[in-house]
Amino acid sequence: MRVTSWIAIIVAFSLLLGFSAVLAETRPPMQTVKERIDQIITVLNDPQYHAPAKKEAQRDKIWEIASPMFDFMEISRRTVGSNWEKFTEEEKERFTAIFTRFLGNSYIDKMQGEYHNEQIVYVKELVREPQALVQTRLVREGAGMPIDYRMKLEDGEWKIYDILVENGVSIVQNYRVQFQSILQKEPPSHLIKRLEDKLKA
Amino acid sequence: MKNRVLKALAIVGGLCVSFGCASGRPSAEPGAINTPAPTALAQPVPDAPQNELSAEDELLLDETFGLENGNSFYTVADPLEPVNRAMFVFNDKLYFWVMKPVAEGYRFVTPTPVRSGVRNFFHNLGAPVRIVNNVLQGKGRAAEAEWTRFLYNTTVGILGFGNPAARYPELNVSPEDLGQTLAVYGIGDGFFLMWPILGASTLRDTAGMGGDRFLNPIGYVDPFELSLGLSGYDKINTLSFRIGDYESLKDAALDPYASFRDAYIQLRQSKIKQ
Repeated sequence: MRVTSWIAIIVAFSLLLGFSAVLAETRPPMQTVKERIDQIITVLNDPQYHAPAKKEAQRDKIWEIASPMFDFMEISRRTVGSNWEKFTEEEKERFTAIFTRFLGNSYIDKMQGEYHNEQIVYVKELVREPQALVQTRLVREGAGMPIDYRMKLEDGEWKIYDILVENGVSIVQNYRVQFQSILQKEPPSHLIKRLEDKLKA
Repeated sequence: MKNRVLKALAIVGGLCVSFGCASGRPSAEPGAINTPAPTALAQPVPDAPQNELSAEDELLLDETFGLENGNSFYTVADPLEPVNRAMFVFNDKLYFWVMKPVAEGYRFVTPTPVRSGVRNFFHNLGAPVRIVNNVLQGKGRAAEAEWTRFLYNTTVGILGFGNPAARYPELNVSPEDLGQTLAVYGIGDGFFLMWPILGASTLRDTAGMGGDRFLNPIGYVDPFELSLGLSGYDKINTLSFRIGDYESLKDAALDPYASFRDAYIQLRQSKIKQ
């Protein structure tokens, strides 16, 4: 009896410690974004990936760094908007999986093809838990392009659920407009099919 | 009346330049854009009080955050969609067959400082449009900033090829045009239009574009062909900084036309709010 209650106390204690350690480690939103982007830039500049044959490996590495920064379920749900209810549970999962890959491919391709040592200036973070906005600027040849990250606090971690370019063009809304016109005429399975086809192309 | 306002602004702006109040003003973040390493990074305070955000900051937060399926978004009617889609295809071909190769060749033979200078020069010439529209929207401070910026860049920046005003954040206000002014006056977008060459617009913004042309010195260049040529050169020079942007946006879209239409509408909405 004694022993078990001691164990219980120790377990409870370590859980508490562990929990507070997690709490203490909640990185502020800007720091979360900056750490990951810095790592991605290191991979983009890494000479070992510069051979064309290494593009695939570089892409995988970038994906490994970038993906934990995003809440893809939230992004998918927001992108579909009110039509989300029309999706079955299975379709929701399939859509999230395929749209995640679609986003990953489109934007990592862009980074790999377009990144030429642009600097990223971290302007400001606005926090109102559980939401935050991290403002950055991508500086290319002396001109800055604003890129802002909308983030959400989830289980002690800040995750991106939307990206705004040029001070207010929401990527999520942009996809929502595209998907809405498809979903007005076609069932969710067709939208999934279209994304699959686009990925294969 | 308008003349008086402008004259007053000229005096204020002139005084600012001659007393160096612009250059003497310590800027909050010197060279915010040119900072090589983000050393000036605002140190995030982990447990900052929640109500520290200013009213301006509040506007930047996502107002649809809490909504389950926040699907209320601003759209513009597109009754001419079939024609617009055809125009979009035309512009797409024009881009890949003409504009892009020309801009790439131009970029290859022209050093970046020259292209930046040209970009600054054309931007500086747009000052009358921005000043007048700031005045029309009752934004006195911004009008003054634009005017000071114009005088500063035209003199110190040598006819606007340089952009020494870039170092002063208070002089770099968001650009206003007649389309935005009309929107502030309560005039709606009307409907969406895709113009050949000129690209995405709406009925209101097209009217605005026409009006602004009267305030741009380029519009008065004689002969008309030269005026048109200068506008074209401005377009190619601007494009030389953004080669690849169009392709990436297009590749990332499932329906490129719908994507560009929405991007235009969103961009204009955010500019009208600023």
